[in-house]
Amino acid sequence: MPTTATPLRTPVRARSGTPTPRRRVRSGRGAAGTSRSERLAPYLLVAPAVLIIGVFRLYPLALGVNFSFTGDGERNGQAVGLDNYTVLFDDPLFIASMRNVGLLVLLLPVAVAIPGLLATFIYLRVPGHRVYRSVYFFPAVLSPVIIGAIFNLLLAFDGPANALLGAVGLGPVDWLGDPDVAMYAVVGVHIWATFGMALVVFLAGFATLDASLIDAARVDGASLPKVVRHVIVPGLSRTIQFVVVTTMIGMLTSMFGLLYVMTGGGPEGSTYLPEYYIWFQQGQMGRPALASAASTVLFGVMLVVGLAQIAVLRRAGRED
Amino acid sequence: MSPLRAGRWLAAIPMAALAIATVYPLVFTANVAMKTRHEYVLDRFAPAEGLRWEAFATAWSSADMGRYLANSLIVVTGAVALLLLFGSMAGFALSQLRFRGSRLLFLACLSALFIPFQVIMVPLARIMGQTGLIDTHPGLVLAYTAQFLPFTVFLMTSYYSGIPPEIIDAARIDGNSVYGVYGRIMLPLGRPALLSVGILNALFCWNDVLIALLLMPSAEHRTLMVGVTSLRGQYSADIPTFAGGVLIAAVPVLVLYLCFQRQITAGVTAGATKG
Repeated sequence: MPTTATPLRTPVRARSGTPTPRRRVRSGRGAAGTSRSERLAPYLLVAPAVLIIGVFRLYPLALGVNFSFTGDGERNGQAVGLDNYTVLFDDPLFIASMRNVGLLVLLLPVAVAIPGLLATFIYLRVPGHRVYRSVYFFPAVLSPVIIGAIFNLLLAFDGPANALLGAVGLGPVDWLGDPDVAMYAVVGVHIWATFGMALVVFLAGFATLDASLIDAARVDGASLPKVVRHVIVPGLSRTIQFVVVTTMIGMLTSMFGLLYVMTGGGPEGSTYLPEYYIWFQQGQMGRPALASAASTVLFGVMLVVGLAQIAVLRRAGRED
Repeated sequence: MSPLRAGRWLAAIPMAALAIATVYPLVFTANVAMKTRHEYVLDRFAPAEGLRWEAFATAWSSADMGRYLANSLIVVTGAVALLLLFGSMAGFALSQLRFRGSRLLFLACLSALFIPFQVIMVPLARIMGQTGLIDTHPGLVLAYTAQFLPFTVFLMTSYYSGIPPEIIDAARIDGNSVYGVYGRIMLPLGRPALLSVGILNALFCWNDVLIALLLMPSAEHRTLMVGVTSLRGQYSADIPTFAGGVLIAAVPVLVLYLCFQRQITAGVTAGATKG
């Protein structure tokens, strides 16, 4: 079994390959004896991490779900049942943000295929492969805010992107000002900025691949598409699943900086995503309860993505 | 030439083009920052007439970037220190010590990996407000620590579970307490993982804008990335200065990447290949 897997498996198990976790340093053995402080030591060691995660991550999750069933403004703190959710699904802005989530799902195969294909070529030692790896990864370390600011210049109506189009005789495009184009422009920039991340994950997956299989296929004279389809894709199924889920989560949760800098949700609300909607309702409109309802919906979407992943993994596990 | 060889050469052309497309935006921005406003209006693409550092100096002094930079440094240093300390402590205990409830605690830490910040930001802002931590450096340090701790605990647990237990047994027989084993054995042995996780966490905290925007609202507490978002409005008529400000904010990250590229990619792929 390849070592690639998702964080869902516990490391102890995957490493030792046996169902019983390997735990040592038993209290009661060794020179230090079984003093009370020794027995408490493991708890004291995990306490800071568990407390911080509990108080600032798990507790707010429960609080937020609770919060989404209370009112805003004059009805602050009162139970309002599902009112926030009714308002939410009547709000064209929220509907637009959910429609954009659908668009992201449709674009997901592109966002996975591009780094996958590039990683394949790098693995097959395309001339210059060493350079490409570092060059492609570097936008991934830049903040979305910086990327967004740079692309504000590049995609300006009188900027380089349109100058390039003009040079080949195509009319200028209002990249960030046209409601039909803006979302594609922002997603395109997001993919440009993050494909290096998926690329290095793919390359790590390739490192676990049995090279002799590819050599054998090459000796048999298999064409490149055939090698990809019959040797590489099956061998990397776990890596591909990991990239699919992390890319989807990335698109749902790390585009705020780009949206904030490039479009501010506009034009005409066409570039809203749930995360931007939550921030807008909480920070700008003073409607935290409504924002909490949107958060709960977003969490539901993420859960579906996660559960779908587990289901796919289980099926793949059976095929192994 | 075999079909695969031919394919490789064919692929090299679009790949080189993509590499240029990856670097060009930054080169363009650097070139713009070197221009005068007049030069920029006349021709966006022509190389700047010389190395002019004025835009950087203007952005640095008039946009208060020094203060933003200091805020970022304080918060990132604090958060990374806490993350490494708490992450390695928990990772050691969860991977090498036997105690009741360890599995449950590990799963609790892990489950937080699947809670994005957007889902908890409203209640978190409220908690921070009630405890007086909002708009303070310790508050943002805690928020970053909480945000990246699940990932850090996961990676440290996975790294430490690869260390042979015989090493720890030997140290115990030599008379070390559990804390002694942590301080004298686990911390030094964990150095490669700590370096990788530390750099990655520094990048995450440094690059964040949403958490800082939410929890550090006042202008004097802005982090550098929040500061960058306000440059556009401030210098809408002075694009070279805008470009200079953006590059000032990008340079520390680029330097970090050039120095620690291997550790960064190792950290990114660890989540996929380990565990």
